Amino acid sequence: MLNPLPTPFDREAVLALLAEHSLCLDEGRIDQWPDLFVDDGIYRVLSRENVELGLPAPLVYYYSRGMMRDRVTALRDALTFEPVYTRHMISDIRLSADGAGQVEARSNFAIYQTTEEGVTRLFAVGGYRDVITATPDGPRFRERCAIVDTFGVQNLIALPL
Amino acid sequence: MNSSFEWPSADFTRVPYRVFRDEKVHAREAERLFKGPFWSYLCLDIELPAAGDYVMSYVGETQVFVTRTEEGGVAAFVNSCAHRGAQLVRNLRGNSLSHTCAYHQWCFDLEGRLIGVPQQRGVKGKGGMGPEFDRDRHGLKRLRVDSYKGLWFGTFSDDVAPLADYIGPRITPEIDRIFDRPIKILGYYRQRIPANWKLYLENVKDPYHAGLLHLFHVTFGIYRPTMSGRVFMDETNGHSVLRTADIGERQSDVNEAYSGIDKYRADYRLADASMFDVAPDYDDRVTNMIMTIFPNLMLGQVANTFQVRHVRPKGLKEFELYWTYFGFADEDETATEGKLRQSNFVGPAGYISLEDGEAGRLVQIGTDRRSDEDCSIVEMGGRGEIGDADTLATEVALRGFWKRYVGAMGWDVAPC
Ligand code: FES
Ligand SMILES: [Fe+2]
Repeated sequence: MLNPLPTPFDREAVLALLAEHSLCLDEGRIDQWPDLFVDDGIYRVLSRENVELGLPAPLVYYYSRGMMRDRVTALRDALTFEPVYTRHMISDIRLSADGAGQVEARSNFAIYQTTEEGVTRLFAVGGYRDVITATPDGPRFRERCAIVDTFGVQNLIALPL
Repeated sequence: MNSSFEWPSADFTRVPYRVFRDEKVHAREAERLFKGPFWSYLCLDIELPAAGDYVMSYVGETQVFVTRTEEGGVAAFVNSCAHRGAQLVRNLRGNSLSHTCAYHQWCFDLEGRLIGVPQQRGVKGKGGMGPEFDRDRHGLKRLRVDSYKGLWFGTFSDDVAPLADYIGPRITPEIDRIFDRPIKILGYYRQRIPANWKLYLENVKDPYHAGLLHLFHVTFGIYRPTMSGRVFMDETNGHSVLRTADIGERQSDVNEAYSGIDKYRADYRLADASMFDVAPDYDDRVTNMIMTIFPNLMLGQVANTFQVRHVRPKGLKEFELYWTYFGFADEDETATEGKLRQSNFVGPAGYISLEDGEAGRLVQIGTDRRSDEDCSIVEMGGRGEIGDADTLATEVALRGFWKRYVGAMGWDVAPC
């Protein structure tokens, strides 16, 4: 039995937002990634170790769409890191009403990286915790938090997870 | 590579690439460095508030657990049971007033004494330990420990000087500066960097790369070689401090230093630069302080971020960089929020630090392709005598590291 979502949410549109987050990163359309958030949206990556210890230090903490755009620009023009393709595998999506007219989403992710020579490795697994809000343009992330089980990070995190 | 190996340069301006890829070197480090007369970082005092609190750490690749004793002291033990060697403590952190091995339930107290051996007298009058078995002779393997300003270190050596003397009076004032008030832990980061651990020590002792690899650093004024900067070392040259303050910098110098290099972009603007709007934690205008304590600890400040980085070797060509990210116990919420915002500078995903992971990877795979006789060139700042520098255009602290390292490894050095 599916949880009812608050109006005006459409389940298909929320699922499409979740999918688009993965697809824009995996298909090299990272420029479009910040547009999946509201202006003062929050994107965080947390280590499961810190979450379980109740410690606040984030691995990544962008608290505006401007900061997300800055990261995209830096990834394109400034930062030095190994060029890789990514693929997100998303599973176990659960949507529910948050009681404040927004949708809470949970899902699991596995992210694979593939080098320029076509060698694939599992990069990170974890879970998303999202708060999704309705806008005139459709559902958008108010907050997306990626909690990584793979907090023994394989070298570095350049791209959003 | 045994004791007959000869280091190719007496002033340590050459470093043979084989030190990053030779298993024999790695095995020798385990004996000479990590079991030798040197102090290895273990943990912070505030991680062990109560009797029985413990955390896991490493001396080289040897896993040790560090615990608060009943009397309020700190003790560290190799994490291996005295019976048949099983891993004794199985969680990374916790609290327990004694430790019982899972395999045959031998039990140890917080001083490492063996206090319980099930069926020591046998079962139904048969078996058991012989009468000569003396529990007092079968405690855990214990390390010597010492602390400075809440940083605990351990060693297997009885010969090394007390920790404060080991760190030395040139370096301790920089520790005093940071630990002038109680700290609080904000979190941990772990990075598995695919490089030999010494490449990270080279990286953090190298102010030359900092203004060239890290555009973010440079463009947003956290670090530029044109700032007031100093590199200084302890007497042995094995520990070092790189320190920059944003004073005395002229735009014309910046333009000259970066002419023809696209790493400084005067026109680069952030859409949201609010993470820079954090009040300084100290009024000395220090923007960057990177300390290393031989062999494998880094303690640092980057803008408002403070961290201990423990370089934990994991085999020859990988290490874990274990970050303890901290703030100050008495700071207000705004100050802490500022540190959380600036976590975007450092850690595995940080604008600055992620590039150091990439640098490690690039140097490891690059030097793996070179022949055994090939060496790196470590000459920024000149050749000859190793000494402190009042410039950031220098690699002299790397030479200091190699000097101490070669001494520790017991290798000869080629005559000049
Ligand atoms: S190995 Fe620990 S009790 Fe036997
Ligand atoms: Fe660096």
